[in-house]
Amino acid sequence: MIIHIDGKACVCEKGEYLLHVAAQNGIFIPRFCHHPGLPGQACCRVCLVEVETEAGGERQVVSSCVYPVEREMQVYTNSDKIKKQRRMVLSLLSARAPDSGRTAALLKSAGGSLPERFTRLAGEKCILCGLCAKACESVGTAAISVAGRGTDKKISTPFALPPDACIGCASCAAVCPTEVIAYVEDGGTRTIWGRSFQLKYCETCGDMLGTEEEVAHAANKAGGEPARLCPACRKKTIAGALGKPFARG
Amino acid sequence: MTRTIFVCCGTGCIANGSLAVADALRAALDETATAYGQGKAAATAGQAERREAAATAGIQVEALVKQTGCNGFCENGPIVKIMPDDISYYKVKPQDAAEIIDSLDKAPVERLLYKDRDGRSLRSQKENPFYAQQMKIVLRNIGEIDPAEIDDYLARGGYAALKKALAMQPAEIIAEVEKSGLRGRGGAGFPTGSKWRIAASYDDFPKYVVMNGDEGDPGAFMDRSILEGDPHCVLEGLAICALAVGAEQGFFYIRDEYGLALHQVQKAIADAGKAGILGNAIMGSEKKLHLEVVRGGGAFVCGESTALMASIEGRPGEPRAKYIRSVQRGLWDKPTVLNNVETLANIPFLILEGGAKFAEKGTANSKGTKVFALVGKVKRTGLIEVPMGVSLRHLIFDIGGGLLSDRPFKAVQTGGPSGGCIPAELLDLPVDFDTLTEKGAMMGSGGMIVMDDRDCMVEMARYYVNFLCGESCGKCTPCREGLRQLRNILTDITEGRGEPEDLQLMEEICDTMRDASLCALGKSAPNPVMTTLRYFREEYESHIRDKTCPAGHCPKLTAFRIDTDKCTGCGRCAGACPGGAISGAIKSPYRIDGSKCLACGVCRDLCRFEAAIAEKAGYEA
Ligand SMILES: Cc1cc2nc3c(=O)[nH]c(=O)nc-3n(C[C@H](O)[C@H](O)[C@H](O)COP(=O)(O)O)c2cc1C
Ligand code: SF4
Ligand code: FES
Repeated sequence: MIIHIDGKACVCEKGEYLLHVAAQNGIFIPRFCHHPGLPGQACCRVCLVEVETEAGGERQVVSSCVYPVEREMQVYTNSDKIKKQRRMVLSLLSARAPDSGRTAALLKSAGGSLPERFTRLAGEKCILCGLCAKACESVGTAAISVAGRGTDKKISTPFALPPDACIGCASCAAVCPTEVIAYVEDGGTRTIWGRSFQLKYCETCGDMLGTEEEVAHAANKAGGEPARLCPACRKKTIAGALGKPFARG
Repeated sequence: MTRTIFVCCGTGCIANGSLAVADALRAALDETATAYGQGKAAATAGQAERREAAATAGIQVEALVKQTGCNGFCENGPIVKIMPDDISYYKVKPQDAAEIIDSLDKAPVERLLYKDRDGRSLRSQKENPFYAQQMKIVLRNIGEIDPAEIDDYLARGGYAALKKALAMQPAEIIAEVEKSGLRGRGGAGFPTGSKWRIAASYDDFPKYVVMNGDEGDPGAFMDRSILEGDPHCVLEGLAICALAVGAEQGFFYIRDEYGLALHQVQKAIADAGKAGILGNAIMGSEKKLHLEVVRGGGAFVCGESTALMASIEGRPGEPRAKYIRSVQRGLWDKPTVLNNVETLANIPFLILEGGAKFAEKGTANSKGTKVFALVGKVKRTGLIEVPMGVSLRHLIFDIGGGLLSDRPFKAVQTGGPSGGCIPAELLDLPVDFDTLTEKGAMMGSGGMIVMDDRDCMVEMARYYVNFLCGESCGKCTPCREGLRQLRNILTDITEGRGEPEDLQLMEEICDTMRDASLCALGKSAPNPVMTTLRYFREEYESHIRDKTCPAGHCPKLTAFRIDTDKCTGCGRCAGACPGGAISGAIKSPYRIDGSKCLACGVCRDLCRFEAAIAEKAGYEA
């Protein structure tokens, strides 16, 4: 079917999410909490757009990251209303996370500025998109989670202690849109969430494989021995053993 | 004559000691039986045996004590009602029991009757202005039956509607509900018949039916009272819903704090199962229905439909985007009907009497009755049921008896944290879904808080915003961060740090919360702020510009002094002042020490001579 986004005709499948359709057609909709591998957060509310399902009918404000296309429609990603609401959402996020550079930058590019009157949470960088907890859950460790509710909600480890379940894989840090989750790699160890992990390297090429725990966790999940080689070297080894020189780096 | 003595054992009356009253009445009956020569054995036997023993001994005073659900008039509890004489006693104590039993064949106990304005004693609830102007459909059994006895419910025609529904086609049931015009009582007012029709249209099994008994709105207790007082009625409603949409599994989601309601519903499910009304063969038919109680997750947001379903599935009670509705994909992604307690309690009546009969009551777009919890500064508080469309004035002044101490009416807050404040100019508005929404408030679940000239509207808004700061899920930005900023600004205003631009800024925050929040909690959270800004803007301006709270409520902006001309020196305030700020000698004027005064206003509330006066803080006598 065809929908119109900001006047541009876009071909899409029924049930596809608006944000995705827009991206496929080169239309960028700002967002924070959407990650293609971890869909459905729908909590930052930066990706708002207006949809009009009947010509001249009432427009509805929806979050494009989870809005499924069910029928033909007009979509407005930059109407006056959307611009205004997006500025307010970004102002609220900037007040919450005044130390997040990305939030401030997005607010600026949306033409807004943080009202003086807003209370700032000093030193805060996290916008509570929850992607880190979702990533951790999908890895299968659930060492960190979103705890509490309302204005006291926060990302936390159990009892706010270095989490036992953590395997140091840093998936949380990888998905964080505001680059809040800090980890340090230094002399063969990675330190994250208050714990230090031994790093493991490929026995052939020396590329980093991850932390000991992470490699063991992956082996455990797949059922086998913990890896000692990186995927590329492993392929080469297998290929070598079979005597068929088709392996490519 | 066989009499039944009904002792109200709703949560309110139990708190006032009604269980002890019921025990005392039973003991008094025993004593009567013993006095007639039954000996000690009678006292240890069950009540039914004692009654029989007394009857064979030719005792005149034959009666049965029954514990009922909430009679609605909690502040006058414990309430004892004697049928068929139709005598109601209020504020009964255990020591009154002997006198009550003794009076059964004689004149009623005068001092326990309700007195009207002119001091006339009223025997029957029908004469009592609190009850006389109500119309009971949902509450019709409450106070007339022991909710723990399925036989009591059956004796009043219970489960006849389910039997009738079993003989109908699902489409016929739905048509009847559609014809009735019944709309959901949980707040949004969605047409119940349409919801059932959509759910019935999907060929996707298993389907589920769920009762929403989360009732998180502070001050509301309609649903609790229905579940405590007539659980079988709700159960019957849910069973009919299940038949209509083709579900074989149902859930009662009940707030964890509602211990008695949980107990009554669990007992009702067990008893209905034993009686063959539920289970693998509903009333001997081929239909199945299994029901289960789920304890609520705790926060106000758990009453929201998608959060509630997440909670039943064992996940955190957080909403999801609702672009695909629960009637299509709800619990475990299957078609699910969620209805409020009161909505379901209407169903048995509606099926028995027919949708057309139901639709005779109420207004064009809001049919039937509505139960309200009338609280706050009103003379008669409690649970009331009236036809849709009566005016707020009727509710507050005729049924509620007007304001305490006849102070000026200022506003009524309807719909709790999602609702709004309605000012005096709009008192003649008919109470129905659409009118309240149009005025920026909401029917909500039916909470109604009456406020007088000493209640501050800015503080009212701050109270609800602060409540939601802790009771929302905190998942999405507009709601979580919008509430945080609103709370801070409102607190500043009530403490004298407000700035002129604050009002516009709050309006902008509210506008974004309405449009951009993920669920209806965030979308409706601005209502208390927006309605007070709309109807009481000058009160905000006084706080900001003049640093005064016109209601004399906000402690940081208020100081109290005693008008020496009016003070009679009774000393009442001095004893009650928590700050110990009031001193003086009996019969000469008292004075308040400003340095100790907490500006709590207790002296003003207590003074019978209007001598304690609220002033702008900083005032020096
Ligand atoms: C924050 C929030 C809290 C709610 N709380 C309740 C509640 O306590 N009880 C209830 O029946 N409905 C509540 N609702 C409404 C429900 O989401 C839903 O609309 C209702 O249960 C549907 O039943 P009805 O159509 O019979 O009213 C709440 C909605 C929101 C947004
Ligand atoms: S609007 Fe409030 S309660 Fe609803 S999802 Fe957002 S944060 Fe949670
Ligand atoms: S990206 Fe859609 S709500 Fe965050």
